[in-house]
Amino acid sequence: MRSLNSLQFNRTTRARFVWLVSQKLKSAGSHVGLAALILTFVLVGTVSAQHRISLSGDVQAKISYCKDCHGVSAQGFNGYYPIPRLAGQQPEYIENQLRAFIEHRRTNNIMFNVAHSLSPAMINALTAHFASLNPPPIGGAPRQLVATGRKIFEDGMPEVNIAACAACHGPEATGSGQIPRLAGQLYPYMIKTLGSWDKERGRNPTVPDAAAIMSPVAHSLNKSQIEAVAAFVSTLRSPRGTPNAVQ
Amino acid sequence: MKPMNFRRPQGQHRSTFRSPAGTALILPAAVLALSFSSPAAAQGNVSKAEADAKLRYCEVCHGVSAQGFHGYYPIPRLAGQPTEYLKNQLQAFVEHRRTSNIMFNVGHVLSPAMIDALTTDFNQLNPKPLGGAPKENIDEGKNIFENGVAAANVPACASCHGPQAKGNGPFPRLAGQLYDYITAKLTNWDKERGQNPSSPDTSAVMQPIAHSLTQPQIKAVAAYLSYLE
Repeated sequence: MRSLNSLQFNRTTRARFVWLVSQKLKSAGSHVGLAALILTFVLVGTVSAQHRISLSGDVQAKISYCKDCHGVSAQGFNGYYPIPRLAGQQPEYIENQLRAFIEHRRTNNIMFNVAHSLSPAMINALTAHFASLNPPPIGGAPRQLVATGRKIFEDGMPEVNIAACAACHGPEATGSGQIPRLAGQLYPYMIKTLGSWDKERGRNPTVPDAAAIMSPVAHSLNKSQIEAVAAFVSTLRSPRGTPNAVQ
Repeated sequence: MKPMNFRRPQGQHRSTFRSPAGTALILPAAVLALSFSSPAAAQGNVSKAEADAKLRYCEVCHGVSAQGFHGYYPIPRLAGQPTEYLKNQLQAFVEHRRTSNIMFNVGHVLSPAMIDALTTDFNQLNPKPLGGAPKENIDEGKNIFENGVAAANVPACASCHGPQAKGNGPFPRLAGQLYDYITAKLTNWDKERGQNPSSPDTSAVMQPIAHSLTQPQIKAVAAYLSYLE
């Protein structure tokens, strides 16, 4: 049996390898390239599945495949895009987002293809697994913004009608149900998502969804406020994990 | 998966409710209005644009028709609530009679004129209840609400909150209130209400009643009220 360190090293190497392949394919930009990319993920993922026996082979392979992009502990990963943390995320939130990709409520070609092939049983297994993880945040945000971000997160700015994030996302940013955990989420992912909310969420007029709730909130924040909140949540650890997670 | 209720029910649209296309126009307008009209608010006036912007802000958490919302906490329905009750509660947050860090901050910046505008608006709304409570004990809840539990010295809720639970003056409307909100309030009454000994308030009236109700009775009453239109 390998030591944890060598396993960790191999996984990190694998993530970098897959990332490099994805860069090559991105420049090619063809559907063939995408198929090859997915095939690469599956093949590479299958190798590491042998190291765990607690989950079925199919589920373990799929988890490895997800972690190729979302990080070895699903703590998020800065690929070409900031790829969000899934660790500790609310199962109901992940399930709803996977469906959002399929229904074009949330536009993302890569995640549309990923989600499209998942059975309901697989989604249940994946969301339960991700909810159970609680690695430390990957960090990297400017420290000097954290105090301002904490203030906005906990209290909002009532005088200019900015709602307190904590009211829905919880005092420790663990989320609840369809409302996502933000604790430990990537700084650049938070900035990108809040900065372009209406371009990424609630995109299918025939299927309106809960993204509408955040739309006015995202609009109410200016760029420096978004950066401050993003910095705060990106550093936030959750000592208790995700309270509503279905195990 | 529980569906989230985020749309204003039909018949509840105000003229300023944002359509997707209107969002971009109204928000900057609201921000402008806020930037320029703060002195006016301090003098006891509140413009329609200011009040509308603040209402949108309240409805982020309390639901688009103020019908309540399940955030991290159950966030109560404000629709149809008596204005006097709403004013007293906002004051209670500011005076630490009722403890909520978020609502302390919210309440702290509201001028009397803004409070008048907000409470009047919420009082006039009448969306359908959010629903979602277990239904098996509704009849028991109705019985407790209308008749009380004489053996446990619990008076009929209806005697203060009204036969239709619409409230009156300082007594809150309970019709359509969130199931888990009512359950949490009645269970934790002494930890959340009447928290400032130097400023005793009407929450003392409910204190012995909350204590006398058993947990199954609380849940039955909460379930009944949460479906009441």
